[in-house]
Amino acid sequence: MLLLSCVLQGAEAGGFILIQDTVKCTGRGLLKCFINAALKRGEDVHVLGFESPETEVCAGLDRSCVQKLHFHKGFPDPLGWTRRSSFTVERFASQHITQLIKDTQQAKASVLVVDSLSLVLRHHDPLVFCQTLQELRKGGVIKTIIGLLHSDLHQQGIVGIVCYLASTVISVAPANNERHSVAKTTRRTKSGKVMQEEEYFSVCKDATLSVQAKPRQPGHVQKERDVSEADPTSNLTFNLRLSEEERKAKEKVALPFVFSQEKKSALLKPTPGSGRIVYEPDDNDDFDEEDPDDDLDV
Amino acid sequence: MFPELNSILNSTPDSFKSSDFILVSDRRANASFLIQHYLAFYLRAGCKVCFLGLVQSFSHYSAVGQRLGVSLAQAREKGQLVFLEGLKDSIGVLLQEDTSHETQPLSYLRSPGAGLEGLFRFVERSMRQSGDGDAGESWGPPVLLIDDLSVLLSLGVSVGAILDFTLYCQATMCSELQGNMVILVRCEEEDADDDDDEEGSNLLQRGLVHQCNLALHVEGLPTGYCRDIHGQMEVWWRQRGETIYNQRKIFHFKVHDKGASFFARGTSSAVL
Repeated sequence: MLLLSCVLQGAEAGGFILIQDTVKCTGRGLLKCFINAALKRGEDVHVLGFESPETEVCAGLDRSCVQKLHFHKGFPDPLGWTRRSSFTVERFASQHITQLIKDTQQAKASVLVVDSLSLVLRHHDPLVFCQTLQELRKGGVIKTIIGLLHSDLHQQGIVGIVCYLASTVISVAPANNERHSVAKTTRRTKSGKVMQEEEYFSVCKDATLSVQAKPRQPGHVQKERDVSEADPTSNLTFNLRLSEEERKAKEKVALPFVFSQEKKSALLKPTPGSGRIVYEPDDNDDFDEEDPDDDLDV
Repeated sequence: MFPELNSILNSTPDSFKSSDFILVSDRRANASFLIQHYLAFYLRAGCKVCFLGLVQSFSHYSAVGQRLGVSLAQAREKGQLVFLEGLKDSIGVLLQEDTSHETQPLSYLRSPGAGLEGLFRFVERSMRQSGDGDAGESWGPPVLLIDDLSVLLSLGVSVGAILDFTLYCQATMCSELQGNMVILVRCEEEDADDDDDEEGSNLLQRGLVHQCNLALHVEGLPTGYCRDIHGQMEVWWRQRGETIYNQRKIFHFKVHDKGASFFARGTSSAVL
């Protein structure tokens, strides 16, 4: 089964699913599919909506399960400036969120969706944020956390920290094909096994996901080696081939700058008679009788 | 108002999409002619316009507007245009003794770290005021224009605070009041080695692109200076929530005295 579909259907307990997007491709559609899938499974879904209005988040969701969706209004007032929100970004702490969920229903394991984690990170210290996430995961009230992060709005280090905390990371990117986008899913199971896949996906109007496998190497045809290499010396108007005698003569030719023993002795033969060099070393000179070129293997 | 741009964007003063957040950005070019276009466009459409003119004086916009056929002075008198003259008002804010007015629109000049809540309240107040014209006419959907937002970065306001401000503006203008927003952001050259980009105009631009519905990006021609083509404009139709079908197209443009003409790449009148 395709990994993205697996993650969508599975929602293993204690999981933190991170959806990463950039300006090139938004991850909100995928987030909506996750919300829809959780609702269809009969789970209670709590959405901390800071960046999008409730109408946008709920558009297209399955009507029959919408009562299990609890949208906590951050948007349009995520910072509390106009006092119209029920949950501000400031209150993103484990005790407040846990209380919020307990107030809404009987304490049953539910799904927490955060749109978006980028806004939370803008207003909270990354360390405190990570602690909050860990506390929520271990708290028992929340079964799964699903968050949307705009990875191009944060430093790489911060994005790395959040990815490390997540059990599944899904990065979305545009594909060459306009009808689909690409999702790179990395899933770490409790046993430590890591699965990674790249798949095409598209979000339908009714918030369902259609996933397709990406061909291993799209457009990359395996190069077939040419079995018969063309002979460059054939079909010419001039002759490039060598006869047997010509080949032997060629091998006998002494190359001009190869220093063989004969050449060396021919050049270095001392001529008797005039032209002797008389050298009387000074006290400072280090006179060595040996020929310094003797060790050359020429 | 530029007729060719209207046809590219498929909108006229008589019929345009509402609840739109339009981002105008530029890099090593000047996209303020697009702000002038939108100013003329929305005034012609009869909308109530709130213009945060942070970088030029009122008379400048007025003079350019005159060439495009709208009278800003008249619109302001009638109550159709609310103009915040950032340059003129900033002297008063900086020199005043009284520091208690935290919710003043330009309070970020004194305390940039405090955020732009004051500016947002000014925008909200001007938009929520019932616009009664001379003849009791009511104006169309409200529009917010900002020229330009990146100057706030150089005044010490953080990128996060600006993004919060635009989020609130969008929540009020677009979602609640069904109006439109047009914001100009000027970006610096992207430097691959620059780690300081974390607090720069490029980060701000990315954050705004995430929030917007339509992004117009103006740059010079990649091949260099040309007398007949002043630059290229990329139109990026974004739909919030839709993963795909984001369409991007590039056009060339030339700015004239009384407007600008837009054409597909390679179809400049100098070439054909």
